[in-house]
Amino acid sequence: MSLGLEETRALEERYLMHTYRRGPVDFVRGEGVLLWDAEGKEYLDFLAGISVCSVGHCHPAVVAVVTEQSARLMHVSNLFYTEPMARLAQRLSESSLGGRVFFANSGTEANECAIKVARKHAHERGITAPEIVSFEGEFHGRSYGALAATPGLAKNEALGPMLPGFRSVPRNDAAALRAAVGENTAAVLIEPIQGEAGVYPTSEEALLAAREACDQSGALLIFDEIQTGMGRTGSLWAYQQTPVRPDVMTAAKALGGGVPIGACITAPVAADVLQPGDHGSTFAAGPVATAAALAVLDIVDDPGLLRRVRELGAELREGLEALDRVRETRGRGLMIGIGLEEGIDAAALGADLLCRGLVVNVPAPGTVRLLPPLVVDSDQIAKAVGLIGDSLAAVA
Amino acid sequence: MRRSSLEASTSERLAAIVAAAEQAASQVIDDAEAEGQRYLAEAREEADRLVAERLASLALLTDSLVAQAEMIRQQSERLLESLAQARAELQVDPSPQPLPSRGPHLSAVVPAEEPVEEQPAPSSNGARQNQAGARLLATQMAVSGSSREEIASRLRIGFEIDDCNAILDAILGPEDD
Repeated sequence: MSLGLEETRALEERYLMHTYRRGPVDFVRGEGVLLWDAEGKEYLDFLAGISVCSVGHCHPAVVAVVTEQSARLMHVSNLFYTEPMARLAQRLSESSLGGRVFFANSGTEANECAIKVARKHAHERGITAPEIVSFEGEFHGRSYGALAATPGLAKNEALGPMLPGFRSVPRNDAAALRAAVGENTAAVLIEPIQGEAGVYPTSEEALLAAREACDQSGALLIFDEIQTGMGRTGSLWAYQQTPVRPDVMTAAKALGGGVPIGACITAPVAADVLQPGDHGSTFAAGPVATAAALAVLDIVDDPGLLRRVRELGAELREGLEALDRVRETRGRGLMIGIGLEEGIDAAALGADLLCRGLVVNVPAPGTVRLLPPLVVDSDQIAKAVGLIGDSLAAVA
Repeated sequence: MRRSSLEASTSERLAAIVAAAEQAASQVIDDAEAEGQRYLAEAREEADRLVAERLASLALLTDSLVAQAEMIRQQSERLLESLAQARAELQVDPSPQPLPSRGPHLSAVVPAEEPVEEQPAPSSNGARQNQAGARLLATQMAVSGSSREEIASRLRIGFEIDDCNAILDAILGPEDD
């Protein structure tokens, strides 16, 4: 028998650090695009645990693999070989940049690895004070390396001092980026679509400038594909829909279908930078997480599903853009930001939608973010658009 | 005398019963052997049929795999050609040049509050880089499964290339009539 929302809230209030403002719902079950709370109320989930449950909640193939693997072998550490680890590394490398993979437990940790690769690569080129350049608005995580590369959060002096060697330029400012990249630059770290900022695709001009600047300076171009990867934008990796190819990229979120896992994937140019002793993790690359990720890739790395993501994304944006009080939609595939008209309280809209049974996210003022599972269907999209229209009419 | 006659009679009957039983047993054995042979023949026939079916399936699968491998080889060759061409174009003028202005609509999104900056005039290097970028975009989209129409749309919007058939033909092969 479950505690119920009020008792769970009381325990959270008493025993958890207050780092989150949670929605007033106690979810107890999920299946596909649907969630149910402790009272049995059904919700349409257009957030997917912040793009984690891309294959839907409790996908039978992922559940079966996790069940089977966890009954057989859960953990042995990275001091030994396990087959799912090796097979997943092969699959990630061959589906993207062709180099080597380091596994982590989260996106933040994957970015920590990428930062380490960039710095060591720079030291090998004789740079003693390497710098990493990123665009304002980017989010790369909350550990100190990733935090320092996240301009909006790195300004929080209460958490200082920050790790040195990071700088940022205005979003999409190609000229400023070119000027910022110089002889001390270790890497340019970019989200191909800024997710936490409110879903802002990085312009092709800015991406081309970043690639050119890296090529000229010898720096590495790193893509943070933690939110955009694994089919979210309608291709397995978002860079495949851009005019550039990174040297390093990071993946997480949807990679494990709900099981925590991250990966830093390199092109051959950066494949041998890290050597024994440079980096490690006790839990990472565990057989349960890597087996789950292989099952997720089996589902997501499918041209038919990816084409459907592009089609459904277009359908969703078309429906949203027809609504009153929607100023614009942004994004690619099923990663969509809704820019609301001036004066609409996005937080109130998000809360109202939750009451109506639609789970969304409000990452920034005036913006609603939609990240539905990739297995969503047209009827569910039509229902979500209808609920958002009703809610806009109610809260405006 | 009567006793020995009875014994003889009984003995004869027993012999007859044994003979009949032996004959019946022999018949059962013959029937069982015949039945066994028939089952064996049927099983062999079924096994042969299954093997033939599997071989046919494997042959089809092999053909399909060979065809897919050939398709991947062709795509890889086109990708390599495209990358080589892009590299050659980028190496023509190594001096850093600003990218051309492509107008604010080329950014997927410029937030309303952010001013659109004046961009320097287009340079030949920028144009070449754009061309290379367009080729790489088209190649990556093709490899990741996007359709000709989807790629053409991105090239038109992102790179202002109205007639992208040359790029698409180089990557995807000529369009079927």
